[in-house]
Amino acid sequence: MTTLADRFSVRRTASLARWNAVLLSRNKLAFAYAGILPLLPLALLFTGERGSPGVGASAIVTMTLVVALFPVYYNVLAQFVSRRDELVLKRMRAGESRDTELLASIALPGVVVALVLSAIAVPVAAALDQPLPLNPVLYPVLIVLTLVMFTAFAYWTAAWTRNAEAAQLTSLPIILLASVGPLTGTVPDMAGWLRETLSLTPGAAMSDLVRIGWFGLDGPGAEESTLSLADTWSQAAGPLAVIAGWTVIAVVLARRSMRWEPRT
Amino acid sequence: MTRLRPAMTSDPAVRVRGLRRTYGRGPAAFEAVRGVDLDVPTGSITALLGTNGAGKTSTLEVIEGLATATDGEVSVLGLHPVADRALLRPRTGVLLQRSGFSGDLTVRETLRLWSATLTSPRPVDEMLALLSLEERADVRMLALSGGETRRVDLASTLMGTPELVILDEPTTGLDPESRREVWRVVSDMRERGATVLVTTHYLEEAEAYADGIAIMHAGRIVRSGAPAEIAAGYPAAISFAHVPGIPDDLAAVRGVTRENGRTTLVTDALQVSLSDLLAWAAHNDVTLGDLDARSPSLETVFLAIADGRDPGGLSPLDAPNLREGALR
Repeated sequence: MTTLADRFSVRRTASLARWNAVLLSRNKLAFAYAGILPLLPLALLFTGERGSPGVGASAIVTMTLVVALFPVYYNVLAQFVSRRDELVLKRMRAGESRDTELLASIALPGVVVALVLSAIAVPVAAALDQPLPLNPVLYPVLIVLTLVMFTAFAYWTAAWTRNAEAAQLTSLPIILLASVGPLTGTVPDMAGWLRETLSLTPGAAMSDLVRIGWFGLDGPGAEESTLSLADTWSQAAGPLAVIAGWTVIAVVLARRSMRWEPRT
Repeated sequence: MTRLRPAMTSDPAVRVRGLRRTYGRGPAAFEAVRGVDLDVPTGSITALLGTNGAGKTSTLEVIEGLATATDGEVSVLGLHPVADRALLRPRTGVLLQRSGFSGDLTVRETLRLWSATLTSPRPVDEMLALLSLEERADVRMLALSGGETRRVDLASTLMGTPELVILDEPTTGLDPESRREVWRVVSDMRERGATVLVTTHYLEEAEAYADGIAIMHAGRIVRSGAPAEIAAGYPAAISFAHVPGIPDDLAAVRGVTRENGRTTLVTDALQVSLSDLLAWAAHNDVTLGDLDARSPSLETVFLAIADGRDPGGLSPLDAPNLREGALR
Protein backbone atom coordinates (compact mmCIF):
# COMPACT_ATOMS: atom_id res chain seq x y z
CA MET A 1 0.00 0.00 0.00
CA THR A 2 1.67 3.15 -1.14
CA THR A 3 0.58 6.41 0.37
CA LEU A 4 0.73 9.78 -1.29
CA ALA A 5 3.86 10.57 0.74
CA ASP A 6 5.62 7.66 -0.99
CA ARG A 7 4.85 9.11 -4.37
CA PHE A 8 5.24 12.83 -3.89
CA SER A 9 7.44 14.72 -1.45
CA VAL A 10 6.34 18.30 -0.80
CA ARG A 11 9.63 19.05 0.98
CA ARG A 12 11.72 17.90 -1.99
CA THR A 13 9.48 19.69 -4.51
CA ALA A 14 9.71 22.94 -2.55
CA SER A 15 13.52 22.70 -2.36
CA LEU A 16 13.83 22.00 -6.07
CA ALA A 17 11.42 24.83 -6.87
CA ARG A 18 13.51 27.21 -4.79
CA TRP A 19 16.64 26.31 -6.78
CA ASN A 20 14.70 26.67 -10.02
CA ALA A 21 13.73 30.17 -8.89
CA VAL A 22 17.41 30.94 -8.17
CA LEU A 23 18.31 29.78 -11.68
CA LEU A 24 15.49 31.85 -13.16
CA SER A 25 16.72 34.95 -11.34
CA ARG A 26 20.22 34.42 -12.81
CA ASN A 27 18.97 34.33 -16.40
CA LYS A 28 18.16 37.97 -17.26
CA LEU A 29 16.07 37.34 -20.35
CA ALA A 30 14.05 34.53 -18.81
CA PHE A 31 13.55 36.61 -15.68
CA ALA A 32 12.30 39.58 -17.74
CA TYR A 33 9.72 37.37 -19.44
CA ALA A 34 8.64 35.62 -16.27
CA GLY A 35 8.85 38.41 -13.70
CA ILE A 36 8.72 41.85 -15.37
CA LEU A 37 6.56 41.52 -18.48
CA PRO A 38 3.43 40.33 -16.61
CA LEU A 39 3.40 43.55 -14.55
CA LEU A 40 2.82 45.70 -17.63
CA PRO A 41 -0.89 44.96 -18.25
CA LEU A 42 -1.80 46.47 -14.87
CA ALA A 43 -0.68 49.79 -16.33
CA LEU A 44 -3.70 49.57 -18.63
CA LEU A 45 -5.84 50.36 -15.57
CA PHE A 46 -4.41 53.88 -15.69
CA THR A 47 -5.59 54.37 -19.27
CA GLY A 48 -9.05 55.30 -20.50
CA GLU A 49 -11.92 56.39 -18.31
CA ARG A 50 -11.25 55.86 -14.59
CA GLY A 51 -13.52 53.16 -13.15
CA SER A 52 -15.06 52.12 -16.47
CA PRO A 53 -15.84 48.38 -16.25
CA GLY A 54 -14.95 48.00 -19.94
CA VAL A 55 -11.45 49.34 -19.35
CA GLY A 56 -11.04 47.34 -16.15
CA ALA A 57 -12.14 44.11 -17.82
CA SER A 58 -9.78 44.64 -20.70
CA ALA A 59 -6.81 45.22 -18.36
CA ILE A 60 -7.60 42.16 -16.22
CA VAL A 61 -8.16 39.93 -19.27
CA THR A 62 -4.83 41.03 -20.70
CA MET A 63 -3.08 40.44 -17.41
CA THR A 64 -4.61 36.97 -17.02
CA LEU A 65 -3.53 36.09 -20.53
CA VAL A 66 -0.01 37.44 -20.01
CA VAL A 67 0.56 35.64 -16.68
CA ALA A 68 -0.67 32.41 -18.26
CA LEU A 69 1.54 32.77 -21.32
CA PHE A 70 4.85 34.18 -20.01
CA PRO A 71 5.71 33.16 -16.44
CA VAL A 72 3.84 29.91 -16.93
CA TYR A 73 3.55 28.64 -20.50
CA TYR A 74 6.67 30.01 -22.20
CA ASN A 75 8.85 29.97 -19.11
CA VAL A 76 7.98 26.38 -18.15
CA LEU A 77 8.49 25.26 -21.74
CA ALA A 78 11.90 26.94 -22.03
CA GLN A 79 13.11 25.80 -18.60
CA PHE A 80 12.04 22.21 -19.15
CA VAL A 81 13.56 22.00 -22.64
CA SER A 82 16.88 23.50 -21.57
CA ARG A 83 17.10 21.26 -18.47
CA ARG A 84 16.31 18.30 -20.68
CA ASP A 85 18.94 19.24 -23.28
CA GLU A 86 21.57 19.80 -20.59
CA LEU A 87 20.79 16.27 -19.28
CA VAL A 88 19.97 17.81 -15.90
CA LEU A 89 16.61 16.02 -15.87
CA LYS A 90 18.26 12.74 -16.79
CA ARG A 91 20.62 13.17 -13.84
CA MET A 92 17.81 14.06 -11.44
CA ARG A 93 15.74 11.06 -12.50
CA ALA A 94 18.64 8.76 -11.59
CA GLY A 95 18.33 10.02 -8.01
CA GLU A 96 15.51 10.05 -5.49
CA SER A 97 13.43 12.78 -7.18
CA ARG A 98 10.23 11.58 -8.83
CA ASP A 99 8.98 12.75 -12.20
CA THR A 100 5.95 14.53 -10.71
CA GLU A 101 8.21 16.41 -8.28
CA LEU A 102 10.49 17.53 -11.12
CA LEU A 103 7.54 18.71 -13.21
CA ALA A 104 5.95 20.55 -10.32
CA SER A 105 9.23 22.17 -9.26
CA ILE A 106 9.94 23.52 -12.75
CA ALA A 107 6.43 24.98 -12.98
CA LEU A 108 6.27 26.41 -9.46
CA PRO A 109 8.34 29.62 -9.77
CA GLY A 110 6.25 30.82 -12.74
CA VAL A 111 3.01 29.63 -11.17
CA VAL A 112 3.80 31.52 -7.96
CA VAL A 113 4.51 34.71 -9.96
CA ALA A 114 1.20 34.24 -11.77
CA LEU A 115 -0.76 33.62 -8.55
CA VAL A 116 0.78 36.62 -6.79
CA LEU A 117 0.06 38.94 -9.71
CA SER A 118 -3.48 37.62 -10.07
CA ALA A 119 -4.03 38.28 -6.37
CA ILE A 120 -2.56 41.77 -6.23
CA ALA A 121 -4.58 42.70 -9.32
CA VAL A 122 -7.66 42.79 -7.04
CA PRO A 123 -6.52 45.57 -4.64
CA VAL A 124 -4.70 47.43 -7.43
CA ALA A 125 -7.87 47.50 -9.51
CA ALA A 126 -9.91 48.56 -6.48
CA ALA A 127 -7.48 51.37 -5.76
CA LEU A 128 -8.06 52.61 -9.31
CA ASP A 129 -11.84 52.80 -8.83
CA GLN A 130 -12.61 49.37 -10.30
CA PRO A 131 -15.08 47.04 -8.53
CA LEU A 132 -14.07 44.01 -6.49
CA PRO A 133 -14.90 40.71 -8.24
CA LEU A 134 -18.69 40.39 -8.32
CA ASN A 135 -18.51 36.61 -8.01
CA PRO A 136 -15.65 35.84 -5.57
CA VAL A 137 -15.41 32.18 -6.63
CA LEU A 138 -15.22 32.39 -10.41
CA TYR A 139 -12.02 34.45 -10.64
CA PRO A 140 -9.87 32.15 -8.43
CA VAL A 141 -11.30 29.08 -10.19
CA LEU A 142 -10.47 30.63 -13.55
CA ILE A 143 -6.91 31.41 -12.47
CA VAL A 144 -6.26 27.92 -11.10
CA LEU A 145 -7.69 26.14 -14.16
CA THR A 146 -5.79 28.46 -16.49
CA LEU A 147 -2.46 27.86 -14.77
CA VAL A 148 -2.95 24.08 -14.80
CA MET A 149 -3.92 24.22 -18.48
CA PHE A 150 -0.93 26.28 -19.60
CA THR A 151 1.52 24.27 -17.49
CA ALA A 152 0.24 21.12 -19.18
CA PHE A 153 0.42 22.80 -22.61
CA ALA A 154 4.04 23.72 -21.84
CA TYR A 155 4.98 20.08 -21.18
CA TRP A 156 3.11 18.94 -24.26
CA THR A 157 4.85 21.54 -26.43
CA ALA A 158 8.20 20.51 -24.94
CA ALA A 159 7.68 16.99 -26.30
CA TRP A 160 8.05 18.23 -29.86
CA THR A 161 10.43 21.13 -29.22
CA ARG A 162 13.93 20.21 -30.29
CA ASN A 163 15.85 22.72 -28.17
CA ALA A 164 15.47 25.94 -26.21
CA GLU A 165 15.79 28.18 -29.29
CA ALA A 166 13.12 26.19 -31.12
CA ALA A 167 10.71 27.03 -28.28
CA GLN A 168 10.40 30.55 -29.73
CA LEU A 169 8.71 28.96 -32.73
CA THR A 170 6.96 25.95 -31.26
CA SER A 171 5.26 28.10 -28.62
CA LEU A 172 3.48 30.19 -31.27
CA PRO A 173 0.46 27.91 -31.94
CA ILE A 174 -0.59 27.89 -28.28
CA ILE A 175 0.14 31.61 -27.87
CA LEU A 176 -2.06 32.24 -30.90
CA LEU A 177 -4.79 29.90 -29.66
CA ALA A 178 -4.82 31.75 -26.34
CA SER A 179 -4.70 35.25 -27.80
CA VAL A 180 -7.13 35.06 -30.70
CA GLY A 181 -10.24 35.22 -28.48
CA PRO A 182 -9.30 38.31 -26.42
CA LEU A 183 -7.89 40.06 -29.52
CA THR A 184 -11.06 39.63 -31.57
CA GLY A 185 -13.54 39.74 -28.70
CA THR A 186 -14.19 43.45 -29.05
CA VAL A 187 -14.40 43.47 -32.83
CA PRO A 188 -17.96 44.64 -33.68
CA ASP A 189 -20.08 43.22 -36.50
CA MET A 190 -18.36 39.85 -36.49
CA ALA A 191 -20.26 37.04 -38.21
CA GLY A 192 -22.20 35.02 -35.65
CA TRP A 193 -20.73 31.65 -36.62
CA LEU A 194 -17.20 33.06 -36.35
CA ARG A 195 -17.84 34.55 -32.93
CA GLU A 196 -19.36 31.24 -31.81
CA THR A 197 -16.30 29.33 -33.00
CA LEU A 198 -13.84 31.74 -31.44
CA SER A 199 -15.70 31.61 -28.15
CA LEU A 200 -14.59 27.98 -27.90
CA THR A 201 -10.90 28.97 -27.68
CA PRO A 202 -9.35 29.06 -24.22
CA GLY A 203 -8.50 32.76 -24.43
CA ALA A 204 -12.09 33.73 -25.33
CA ALA A 205 -13.42 31.66 -22.43
CA MET A 206 -10.91 33.31 -20.07
CA SER A 207 -12.01 36.70 -21.33
CA ASP A 208 -15.71 35.84 -20.92
CA LEU A 209 -15.17 34.58 -17.37
CA VAL A 210 -13.33 37.74 -16.29
CA ARG A 211 -16.01 39.97 -17.84
CA ILE A 212 -18.89 37.98 -16.34
CA GLY A 213 -17.42 36.87 -13.00
CA TRP A 214 -15.53 39.98 -11.97
CA PHE A 215 -17.28 42.85 -13.80
CA GLY A 216 -20.84 41.56 -14.39
CA LEU A 217 -20.70 42.48 -18.07
CA ASP A 218 -23.40 40.87 -20.20
CA GLY A 219 -22.08 39.97 -23.66
CA PRO A 220 -18.93 40.81 -25.60
CA GLY A 221 -19.74 44.45 -26.30
CA ALA A 222 -21.11 45.38 -22.88
CA GLU A 223 -19.54 48.39 -21.16
CA GLU A 224 -21.76 48.62 -18.08
CA SER A 225 -22.18 46.12 -15.26
CA THR A 226 -25.73 44.70 -15.47
CA LEU A 227 -25.50 41.10 -14.17
CA SER A 228 -26.55 40.00 -10.68
CA LEU A 229 -24.55 37.42 -8.69
CA ALA A 230 -27.09 34.72 -9.65
CA ASP A 231 -26.80 35.73 -13.33
CA THR A 232 -23.02 35.32 -13.22
CA TRP A 233 -23.35 31.61 -12.33
CA SER A 234 -25.64 30.79 -15.24
CA GLN A 235 -23.74 32.97 -17.72
CA ALA A 236 -20.40 31.48 -16.62
CA ALA A 237 -21.41 27.85 -17.14
CA GLY A 238 -20.55 27.86 -20.86
CA PRO A 239 -17.09 29.47 -20.72
CA LEU A 240 -16.27 27.50 -17.57
CA ALA A 241 -17.01 24.26 -19.45
CA VAL A 242 -14.75 25.44 -22.30
CA ILE A 243 -11.88 26.19 -19.90
CA ALA A 244 -12.33 22.86 -18.10
CA GLY A 245 -12.42 21.04 -21.44
CA TRP A 246 -9.17 22.64 -22.63
CA THR A 247 -7.56 21.87 -19.27
CA VAL A 248 -8.44 18.18 -19.62
CA ILE A 249 -7.18 18.14 -23.22
CA ALA A 250 -3.90 19.79 -22.22
CA VAL A 251 -3.28 17.40 -19.30
CA VAL A 252 -4.07 14.33 -21.43
CA LEU A 253 -1.77 15.53 -24.24
CA ALA A 254 1.04 16.24 -21.78
CA ARG A 255 0.73 12.87 -20.05
CA ARG A 256 0.82 11.01 -23.34
CA SER A 257 3.82 12.80 -24.77
CA MET A 258 6.30 13.38 -21.93
CA ARG A 259 9.87 13.12 -23.16
CA TRP A 260 12.73 13.36 -20.67
CA GLU A 261 15.80 13.01 -22.84
CA PRO A 262 16.99 15.01 -25.83
CA ARG A 263 16.50 13.52 -29.25
CA THR A 264 19.60 11.68 -30.32
CA MET B 1 45.61 -12.00 -5.33
CA THR B 2 45.36 -11.29 -1.62
CA ARG B 3 42.03 -9.59 -2.11
CA LEU B 4 39.30 -11.29 -0.16
CA ARG B 5 36.52 -12.77 -2.19
CA PRO B 6 33.14 -11.60 -0.97
CA ALA B 7 31.23 -13.96 1.26
CA MET B 8 29.43 -16.41 -0.95
CA THR B 9 26.67 -17.04 1.54
CA SER B 10 24.91 -13.68 1.22
CA ASP B 11 22.56 -12.94 -1.65
CA PRO B 12 24.03 -10.96 -4.50
CA ALA B 13 23.31 -7.23 -4.41
CA VAL B 14 22.28 -7.40 -8.07
CA ARG B 15 20.93 -10.51 -9.74
CA VAL B 16 20.13 -10.50 -13.46
CA ARG B 17 18.71 -13.47 -15.35
CA GLY B 18 17.97 -13.73 -19.05
CA LEU B 19 17.87 -9.96 -19.52
CA ARG B 20 16.89 -8.81 -22.99
CA ARG B 21 16.39 -5.29 -24.28
CA THR B 22 15.13 -4.46 -27.74
CA TYR B 23 14.95 -0.98 -29.25
CA GLY B 24 12.33 -0.26 -31.87
CA ARG B 25 9.92 -2.68 -33.48
CA GLY B 26 9.49 -4.77 -36.58
CA PRO B 27 12.29 -5.04 -39.11
CA ALA B 28 14.10 -2.02 -37.64
CA ALA B 29 14.21 -3.55 -34.17
CA PHE B 30 17.64 -3.80 -32.57
CA GLU B 31 18.34 -6.16 -29.73
CA ALA B 32 20.98 -4.43 -27.59
CA VAL B 33 20.92 -6.93 -24.73
CA ARG B 34 20.54 -10.58 -25.68
CA GLY B 35 20.13 -12.71 -22.59
CA VAL B 36 22.43 -11.42 -19.86
CA ASP B 37 22.99 -13.31 -16.62
CA LEU B 38 24.94 -11.39 -14.03
CA ASP B 39 25.48 -11.52 -10.29
CA VAL B 40 27.11 -8.71 -8.37
CA PRO B 41 28.15 -10.16 -5.01
CA THR B 42 27.36 -8.00 -2.00
CA GLY B 43 30.43 -6.04 -0.90
CA SER B 44 32.32 -6.53 -4.15
CA ILE B 45 33.55 -4.26 -6.91
CA THR B 46 32.34 -5.83 -10.12
CA ALA B 47 33.48 -4.42 -13.45
CA LEU B 48 31.46 -4.78 -16.61
CA LEU B 49 33.76 -4.48 -19.62
CA GLY B 50 32.98 -4.33 -23.30
CA THR B 51 33.45 -2.28 -26.43
CA ASN B 52 31.14 0.62 -27.27
CA GLY B 53 27.77 -0.77 -28.23
CA ALA B 54 28.25 -4.03 -26.33
CA GLY B 55 25.12 -3.31 -24.30
CA LYS B 56 26.67 -2.26 -20.98
CA THR B 57 24.72 0.97 -20.56
CA SER B 58 21.49 -0.69 -21.76
CA THR B 59 22.00 -3.33 -19.08
CA LEU B 60 22.77 -0.77 -16.37
CA GLU B 61 19.69 1.31 -17.23
CA VAL B 62 17.46 -1.65 -16.40
CA ILE B 63 19.32 -2.29 -13.12
CA GLU B 64 19.00 1.43 -12.30
CA GLY B 65 15.25 1.30 -12.94
CA LEU B 66 15.52 3.93 -15.70
CA ALA B 67 14.36 1.52 -18.41
CA THR B 68 12.29 -1.63 -18.48
CA ALA B 69 13.52 -4.95 -19.79
CA THR B 70 11.99 -6.54 -22.87
CA ASP B 71 12.42 -9.88 -21.12
CA GLY B 72 14.20 -11.37 -18.12
CA GLU B 73 14.43 -10.80 -14.39
CA VAL B 74 16.36 -8.21 -12.44
CA SER B 75 16.55 -7.97 -8.69
CA VAL B 76 18.42 -5.18 -6.91
CA LEU B 77 19.02 -5.54 -3.16
CA GLY B 78 16.25 -8.12 -3.34
CA LEU B 79 13.80 -5.60 -4.80
CA HIS B 80 12.36 -4.76 -8.20
CA PRO B 81 14.11 -1.74 -9.75
CA VAL B 82 10.91 -0.09 -11.02
CA ALA B 83 8.10 -1.33 -8.75
CA ASP B 84 10.16 -0.80 -5.58
CA ARG B 85 11.71 2.44 -6.76
CA ALA B 86 10.76 4.43 -3.66
CA LEU B 87 12.49 1.89 -1.40
CA LEU B 88 15.51 1.39 -3.64
CA ARG B 89 16.53 4.91 -4.60
CA PRO B 90 17.61 6.00 -1.10
CA ARG B 91 19.86 2.90 -0.99
CA THR B 92 21.49 3.21 -4.41
CA GLY B 93 23.80 5.77 -5.99
CA VAL B 94 23.96 6.09 -9.76
CA LEU B 95 26.56 7.80 -11.93
CA LEU B 96 25.35 7.99 -15.51
CA GLN B 97 27.71 7.81 -18.46
CA ARG B 98 26.52 11.25 -19.54
CA SER B 99 24.65 13.68 -17.37
CA GLY B 100 24.43 17.40 -16.78
CA PHE B 101 24.13 20.16 -14.24
CA SER B 102 22.77 23.68 -14.46
CA GLY B 103 25.72 25.85 -15.42
CA ASP B 104 24.50 28.88 -13.45
CA LEU B 105 24.76 27.19 -10.05
CA THR B 106 28.07 26.92 -8.17
CA VAL B 107 29.56 23.61 -7.13
CA ARG B 108 28.38 24.11 -3.55
CA GLU B 109 24.88 25.11 -4.68
CA THR B 110 24.69 22.11 -6.97
CA LEU B 111 25.55 19.79 -4.08
CA ARG B 112 23.11 21.59 -1.78
CA LEU B 113 20.37 21.14 -4.38
CA TRP B 114 21.22 17.44 -4.66
CA SER B 115 21.39 17.13 -0.89
CA ALA B 116 17.83 18.47 -0.63
CA THR B 117 16.58 15.59 -2.79
CA LEU B 118 18.07 12.87 -0.56
CA THR B 119 16.58 11.01 2.38
CA SER B 120 19.78 10.98 4.45
CA PRO B 121 22.52 13.06 2.85
CA ARG B 122 26.09 13.37 4.07
CA PRO B 123 27.07 17.01 4.69
CA VAL B 124 27.94 19.03 1.58
CA ASP B 125 31.28 20.13 3.05
CA GLU B 126 32.22 16.50 3.67
CA MET B 127 31.53 15.65 0.02
CA LEU B 128 33.51 18.69 -1.19
CA ALA B 129 36.46 17.46 0.87
CA LEU B 130 36.08 13.83 -0.19
CA LEU B 131 36.38 14.75 -3.87
CA SER B 132 38.93 17.56 -3.39
CA LEU B 133 36.49 20.20 -4.58
CA GLU B 134 36.83 22.69 -1.70
CA GLU B 135 38.80 25.21 -3.74
CA ARG B 136 36.23 25.08 -6.54
CA ALA B 137 33.18 25.21 -4.24
CA ASP B 138 32.11 28.73 -5.24
CA VAL B 139 32.81 28.39 -8.95
CA ARG B 140 29.85 28.07 -11.29
CA MET B 141 29.44 24.66 -12.91
CA LEU B 142 29.89 26.03 -16.42
CA ALA B 143 33.45 27.09 -15.55
CA LEU B 144 34.55 23.61 -14.43
CA SER B 145 36.77 21.24 -16.37
CA GLY B 146 35.39 17.89 -17.49
CA GLY B 147 37.21 16.13 -14.68
CA GLU B 148 35.87 18.54 -12.05
CA THR B 149 32.30 18.15 -13.34
CA ARG B 150 32.71 14.39 -13.12
CA ARG B 151 33.84 14.72 -9.50
CA VAL B 152 30.73 16.79 -8.67
CA ASP B 153 28.68 14.08 -10.35
CA LEU B 154 30.40 11.41 -8.28
CA ALA B 155 29.94 13.46 -5.10
CA SER B 156 26.19 13.50 -5.86
CA THR B 157 26.21 9.75 -6.45
CA LEU B 158 27.86 9.01 -3.11
CA MET B 159 26.16 11.69 -1.00
CA GLY B 160 23.29 9.47 0.11
CA THR B 161 25.71 6.82 1.50
CA PRO B 162 24.39 4.20 -0.92
CA GLU B 163 24.64 0.47 -0.25
CA LEU B 164 24.87 -0.14 -3.97
CA VAL B 165 26.83 2.17 -6.27
CA ILE B 166 26.37 1.89 -10.04
CA LEU B 167 28.99 3.77 -12.05
CA ASP B 168 28.85 3.98 -15.83
CA GLU B 169 32.34 4.84 -17.08
CA PRO B 170 33.32 6.99 -14.09
CA THR B 171 36.85 7.65 -15.38
CA THR B 172 36.36 8.09 -19.12
CA GLY B 173 37.97 11.31 -20.29
CA LEU B 174 39.75 11.96 -17.00
CA ASP B 175 43.48 12.50 -16.58
CA PRO B 176 45.44 9.72 -14.83
CA GLU B 177 45.54 11.66 -11.55
CA SER B 178 41.75 12.12 -11.49
CA ARG B 179 41.23 8.50 -12.48
CA ARG B 180 43.30 7.33 -9.52
CA GLU B 181 41.38 9.69 -7.25
CA VAL B 182 38.04 8.32 -8.45
CA TRP B 183 39.19 4.77 -7.82
CA ARG B 184 40.47 5.69 -4.37
CA VAL B 185 37.00 7.00 -3.48
CA VAL B 186 35.28 3.97 -5.02
CA SER B 187 37.58 1.55 -3.17
CA ASP B 188 36.89 3.42 0.08
CA MET B 189 33.16 2.93 -0.51
CA ARG B 190 33.76 -0.78 -0.89
CA GLU B 191 35.83 -0.83 2.31
CA ARG B 192 32.83 0.72 4.07
CA GLY B 193 30.74 -2.21 2.88
CA ALA B 194 29.14 -0.84 -0.26
CA THR B 195 28.71 -2.91 -3.40
CA VAL B 196 29.99 -1.37 -6.62
CA LEU B 197 29.00 -2.19 -10.18
CA VAL B 198 31.15 -0.26 -12.63
CA THR B 199 31.78 -0.13 -16.37
CA THR B 200 35.07 1.05 -17.75
CA HIS B 201 37.15 1.09 -20.90
CA TYR B 202 40.36 0.95 -18.94
CA LEU B 203 41.27 -2.72 -18.58
CA GLU B 204 44.12 -2.00 -16.19
CA GLU B 205 41.65 -0.29 -13.83
CA ALA B 206 39.41 -3.32 -13.80
CA GLU B 207 42.38 -5.60 -13.29
CA ALA B 208 43.71 -3.49 -10.40
CA TYR B 209 40.52 -2.68 -8.51
CA ALA B 210 37.73 -5.10 -9.36
CA ASP B 211 36.97 -8.30 -7.48
CA GLY B 212 35.07 -9.67 -10.43
CA ILE B 213 35.01 -8.91 -14.14
CA ALA B 214 32.36 -9.65 -16.74
CA ILE B 215 33.11 -9.03 -20.41
CA MET B 216 30.17 -8.13 -22.61
CA HIS B 217 30.09 -8.42 -26.37
CA ALA B 218 27.19 -7.94 -28.76
CA GLY B 219 24.60 -7.98 -26.00
CA ARG B 220 25.89 -11.00 -24.10
CA ILE B 221 28.30 -11.66 -21.27
CA VAL B 222 30.88 -13.85 -22.94
CA ARG B 223 33.33 -14.28 -20.10
CA SER B 224 33.41 -13.59 -16.39
CA GLY B 225 35.44 -14.33 -13.30
CA ALA B 226 38.03 -12.85 -10.97
CA PRO B 227 40.64 -10.77 -12.82
CA ALA B 228 43.23 -13.56 -12.56
CA GLU B 229 40.75 -16.17 -13.74
CA ILE B 230 39.65 -14.35 -16.87
CA ALA B 231 42.77 -15.20 -18.82
CA ALA B 232 43.36 -18.60 -17.22
CA GLY B 233 42.78 -21.42 -19.65
CA TYR B 234 42.99 -19.01 -22.53
CA PRO B 235 45.68 -20.11 -24.96
CA ALA B 236 49.00 -18.33 -25.29
CA ALA B 237 50.37 -17.16 -28.62
CA ILE B 238 53.76 -17.23 -30.33
CA SER B 239 54.18 -15.16 -33.44
CA PHE B 240 57.03 -14.30 -35.80
CA ALA B 241 57.69 -13.12 -39.34
CA HIS B 242 56.66 -15.83 -41.72
CA VAL B 243 59.24 -18.52 -42.52
CA PRO B 244 58.61 -21.57 -44.67
CA GLY B 245 58.67 -25.10 -43.37
CA ILE B 246 57.32 -24.71 -39.85
CA PRO B 247 56.49 -28.26 -38.76
CA ASP B 248 52.86 -28.78 -37.88
CA ASP B 249 53.55 -31.10 -34.99
CA LEU B 250 55.28 -28.75 -32.54
CA ALA B 251 54.59 -29.75 -28.96
CA ALA B 252 51.32 -28.45 -27.45
CA VAL B 253 50.52 -26.26 -30.47
CA ARG B 254 46.86 -26.51 -31.27
CA GLY B 255 46.60 -24.21 -34.24
CA VAL B 256 48.57 -22.19 -36.77
CA THR B 257 47.41 -19.07 -38.59
CA ARG B 258 49.26 -17.11 -41.27
CA GLU B 259 48.19 -13.52 -41.81
CA ASN B 260 49.88 -10.34 -43.01
CA GLY B 261 53.25 -12.00 -43.28
CA ARG B 262 53.17 -13.30 -39.73
CA THR B 263 52.76 -16.80 -38.45
CA THR B 264 50.90 -17.24 -35.16
CA LEU B 265 51.02 -20.44 -33.17
CA VAL B 266 48.33 -20.94 -30.54
CA THR B 267 49.40 -23.09 -27.63
CA ASP B 268 48.13 -24.45 -24.36
CA ALA B 269 51.67 -24.64 -22.95
CA LEU B 270 53.72 -21.63 -23.93
CA GLN B 271 57.07 -22.79 -22.57
CA VAL B 272 56.85 -26.28 -24.11
CA SER B 273 55.84 -25.01 -27.54
CA LEU B 274 58.38 -22.21 -27.49
CA SER B 275 61.23 -24.60 -26.56
CA ASP B 276 60.23 -26.94 -29.34
CA LEU B 277 60.02 -24.09 -31.85
CA LEU B 278 63.40 -22.65 -30.88
CA ALA B 279 64.99 -26.12 -31.02
CA TRP B 280 63.58 -26.59 -34.50
CA ALA B 281 64.83 -23.15 -35.58
CA ALA B 282 68.32 -23.76 -34.17
CA HIS B 283 68.52 -27.18 -35.78
CA ASN B 284 67.52 -25.84 -39.16
CA ASP B 285 69.47 -22.59 -38.81
CA VAL B 286 66.28 -20.52 -39.23
CA THR B 287 65.95 -16.98 -37.87
CA LEU B 288 62.56 -16.18 -36.42
CA GLY B 289 62.17 -12.47 -37.12
CA ASP B 290 60.29 -10.22 -34.68
CA LEU B 291 59.63 -13.15 -32.37
CA ASP B 292 56.89 -12.53 -29.83
CA ALA B 293 55.62 -14.93 -27.17
CA ARG B 294 52.98 -13.93 -24.70
CA SER B 295 50.87 -15.43 -21.96
CA PRO B 296 47.19 -14.64 -22.08
CA SER B 297 46.19 -11.43 -20.27
CA LEU B 298 42.90 -9.67 -19.67
CA GLU B 299 43.81 -7.49 -22.63
CA THR B 300 44.44 -10.53 -24.86
CA VAL B 301 41.06 -11.94 -23.94
CA PHE B 302 39.30 -8.61 -24.27
CA LEU B 303 40.77 -7.79 -27.66
CA ALA B 304 40.07 -11.28 -28.94
CA ILE B 305 36.44 -10.93 -27.92
CA ALA B 306 36.16 -7.38 -29.20
CA ASP B 307 37.52 -8.41 -32.60
CA GLY B 308 35.12 -11.32 -32.72
CA ARG B 309 38.28 -13.42 -32.95
CA ASP B 310 38.82 -16.38 -30.69
CA PRO B 311 42.44 -17.42 -30.50
CA GLY B 312 42.81 -21.07 -31.31
CA GLY B 313 39.10 -21.40 -31.75
CA LEU B 314 38.70 -21.95 -28.03
CA SER B 315 35.23 -21.17 -26.89
CA PRO B 316 35.27 -19.55 -23.45
CA LEU B 317 32.94 -22.30 -22.32
CA ASP B 318 35.57 -24.93 -23.07
CA ALA B 319 38.10 -23.42 -20.72
CA PRO B 320 38.31 -25.57 -17.61
CA ASN B 321 38.44 -22.79 -15.03
CA LEU B 322 35.79 -20.63 -16.57
CA ARG B 323 32.13 -20.87 -16.91
CA GLU B 324 29.66 -18.32 -17.98
CA GLY B 325 28.50 -16.42 -14.95
CA ALA B 326 31.56 -17.46 -12.94
CA LEU B 327 30.74 -14.58 -10.59
CA ARG B 328 27.82 -16.55 -9.28
